[in-house]
Amino acid sequence: MGNCLKQPNADDISLLRGAENNQTDGTDSSLLGPPPPYQVSGPMYHPTPNISRPVAQLTEEEQVKIAKRIGLINQLPTGVFDGTRKAKECVICMGEFMVGDTVRYLPCMHTYHRECIDDWLMRAFTCPSCMEPVDAALLSTYNSL
Amino acid sequence: MSGGLPRRIIKETQRLQAEPVPGIVAIPDDSNARYFHVDVAGPKESPYEGGVFKLELFLPEEYPMSAPKVRFMTKIYHPNIDKLGRICLDILKDKWSPALQIRTVLLSIQALLSAPNPDDPLANDVAEQWKVNEAQAIEIAKQWTKRYAPSQPMPS
Repeated sequence: MGNCLKQPNADDISLLRGAENNQTDGTDSSLLGPPPPYQVSGPMYHPTPNISRPVAQLTEEEQVKIAKRIGLINQLPTGVFDGTRKAKECVICMGEFMVGDTVRYLPCMHTYHRECIDDWLMRAFTCPSCMEPVDAALLSTYNSL
Repeated sequence: MSGGLPRRIIKETQRLQAEPVPGIVAIPDDSNARYFHVDVAGPKESPYEGGVFKLELFLPEEYPMSAPKVRFMTKIYHPNIDKLGRICLDILKDKWSPALQIRTVLLSIQALLSAPNPDDPLANDVAEQWKVNEAQAIEIAKQWTKRYAPSQPMPS
């Protein structure tokens, strides 16, 4: 369980009210009207899972962390779905795997669309299905080689 | 992000209606498909048994990369739910995973009603009461359930 008392969590309320009353509060921009200009240029990064920022607003430390993360993600094997694997549906987008889809395999052998899992791995480096930390699994794979 | 409702949200909504979870009703709002009106029945053998609790659930733009926002609308006496209805539940915060769904989130909330955890409080006064005199806390929770969460919803 997270220690909720130490976290600022007023956002829960404002988001819900915002959704109902159609007030913008910046985080749900597309739903609530046109996004503020800073959100339209360039990709967004997630130095921590619940934070979204464009590259220009990242600290140097965050940039290094993200660069390392991208490097690690790129070491994870990818493949093209050929219909022979057991997995039928990508649990992230809930879309069925179609022959020809690009998929990524995690060390725990869970499979996702590459686009879906890469988006998640940039936020948290764990398998969504088994919560296995991907980096620990990667390291143990290397050590056993 | 492009406009329109992601396929996943459409699928989840369809499955919630086709195979509803026992004791849980989640209906999307007519004007906002990301906003759900939720009714959760108090679990058997809990102080909330016999009550029906109203919650609101909102799927943020980033969903399923970030967790749904969920809040109790019905007043409830529970150490992990504060007076604004905010819920202290790890999967809604740092333990969120995109493999979880609306269905699993609501089941976890129902399970939290069965297993209050006063050692990880959100409502400090309630948690204190729960630790000092559990029997009395359970009694208060039962009274609040009768008063605020009647199974026949009051006209609003």
